[in-house]
Amino acid sequence: MKQLSSLLLLVVLSSCLRLDSNLYNLEDKITEYKLDGNAGLQDFVLDASYAVQDSMKHLFTLDSKGSGDDKSYKIYALYIGEIEKIKTDTVILYCHGNKWHMDFYWQRAKLLAHTGGKHRYGVMMMDYRGYGLSEGNPTEEGLFADVDACMAWLKSKGMNNSRLVIYGFSMGSAPATKLCASPRSLTPNKLLLEAPFASADVLAADGAGLNVPGSYVTNLKLNNGELIKEVKQDFFWIHGTVDNFLNMKTHGEIIYKNHGGNYKEAHRIEGADHGTVPATYGFKDYLASIEAFMIR
Amino acid sequence: MKKIYLKVLTLFCFWSVLFSCATTRLVKPLEKGQQVVGGNFGGPLISFGGVPMTIPYTSAFYAKGLNNKTSGFGSVHLTSLAFGVFQTDIGICRELYYTPKYKMGISINPAVNFAIDRWEWKARLWPQVDMNIYKNFGDNKFFYAGLSNWFETNPNRPHGETQVKYWFASPQVGFMYTKNKWTYGLETKWVAPGVPNQPNVADYIGPNHMGAIGIYFQLNRRLR
Repeated sequence: MKQLSSLLLLVVLSSCLRLDSNLYNLEDKITEYKLDGNAGLQDFVLDASYAVQDSMKHLFTLDSKGSGDDKSYKIYALYIGEIEKIKTDTVILYCHGNKWHMDFYWQRAKLLAHTGGKHRYGVMMMDYRGYGLSEGNPTEEGLFADVDACMAWLKSKGMNNSRLVIYGFSMGSAPATKLCASPRSLTPNKLLLEAPFASADVLAADGAGLNVPGSYVTNLKLNNGELIKEVKQDFFWIHGTVDNFLNMKTHGEIIYKNHGGNYKEAHRIEGADHGTVPATYGFKDYLASIEAFMIR
Repeated sequence: MKKIYLKVLTLFCFWSVLFSCATTRLVKPLEKGQQVVGGNFGGPLISFGGVPMTIPYTSAFYAKGLNNKTSGFGSVHLTSLAFGVFQTDIGICRELYYTPKYKMGISINPAVNFAIDRWEWKARLWPQVDMNIYKNFGDNKFFYAGLSNWFETNPNRPHGETQVKYWFASPQVGFMYTKNKWTYGLETKWVAPGVPNQPNVADYIGPNHMGAIGIYFQLNRRLR
C-alpha cells in the first residue's frame, strides 16, 4: 500500500509540461494581409483566369467571444463575393488549416469562389485567434468560437441554415465538424472535409506504432473521429492517398466510416499529399466534384 | 496542419515503444548482491528541420544481482515524467548460457513497461523481451548484439479500429566499457524495421523508410 501511495504521489507531483500551445503553427508573422500580393510559400498559385476583383474581396474584423472567454477577441475575416447578396446566396464557410494565416490559404479560398463558376457561391474564411493578425492565443474552444463568430456575422447579413455549407481543411476539420455536430449561431446544411484528422489519439498511436494515448502528450481533444458520428448533414470527404502527414487510412477513412448521416461521398485522390489535393486532382475536377455535391 | 510544430510533439510523445526509449537495461547479470544505478539518454533519429537528431529520451534505473545468473531492475522515464506521465520498465536479466572458453554468453531480459498519465489516468502496459549475445574482451569491455521485442496487448486502436501489428522487433548492437565503478555504454538499434515510417507525423530516419535508427548512451555506477 505504501508503495502504491508513493507511486500515485510521484505521478501527481510530476511536471505539467504539455505540448498544446506548440501544436499551433503561428511561425510566419505578418503585419498586413497581402492576398494576391503574397510572394511567400503557398501550396499552389492560381493563374489569371481565377482572378477576383478587388471589389469582391472584403477584409474586416469580428468580435469573437466563446463561452469560456472572459473577454472578446478581434479576429480577421475575409468575404469573397457581394455582401448584399448573402441573404440569397449560398455561402461556403472555409475553415483553414493550422499553418500561418489567410494569406497562405488565399489561393484555396479564391479557388472555391470559382465553384460552379466565378462567384456563384460566396466564400468566407477567417484567421482564428492568434493566427495572422487576429488577437489572442489559439485554443481548442477558441477555434469553435471564432468560426461561430463568422456564422453569427453571416446570420446578421441574412444567411440561413439551408444556404450555409462549411468546409474544413486539416485542422479546420475540427471546428467544421464540431459546429455541424453541435450547431451554434447557424446549422450548416452540408459538410466538406479535406485531409481531416481523426483525433489526438490517432496522432499519438500513428507516431508510436503502439496504442499510446493522446493524453500522454496533449490535453487537446480535436476528436473528429467521434464527433462525426453526430453529424447528420450530407458529407463530402476528400483526401490524398499519399498524405504524408495525416495518413488517409488512419485519419480520413475513420471519419468517413463514422459519419452519422445518410449521405456521404469519398474522393481519394491518387498521388496527392497533404497540401496538394486540389492541384493533384486538377482544379477543374476538384471544383466539379464540389459543385456536384453542392447542387445534389 | 503542417509538420514542423507537430515534430515537437513527436519529440516527446512517443516514449514507449516503437520507438523504444532506452538500451537493454542489463546485458549481463550482475553478481549476487551487486547494485547499480544508471541513466540512459537517446532515442530514435528524426529529421528536425532537415537536421538529423535523436529524440532526447532520458531514464534512470536501479538494478541488483539476485544471484549470479539473475538480476532484477526497475526504471523511471524522466522525459515522460516531465509531461505528467509516469512510465517504468521492470524486469530481470537472466543468463541463459555462457562459455568461458570463448568468453561469450546469451542473456534474456523479460520486462513489463507500464505507463499512466495524470491527466486522464489512462494506463498502458507493454511486455518486452530482449535477447542478447555478448562477447567479452578482457575484463572490462564487451560487445553485444541482440533483438529487442515489444508487444502490443490492446487489440483495438483508437476509435475501435483493429490493431494489426502486435510484435515490434528491433535488432541492436552495443558496446560497454567499465572503468573503476563506472560503466559507459553505446547502443544503436533499428527500431521496428518491419514498420513503414511514412506517412507519419514524424520524419523518422530509417533505411528504406522503414522503422527508425536509434542511438542511445548509458552510464552506470556500481554501488556495491
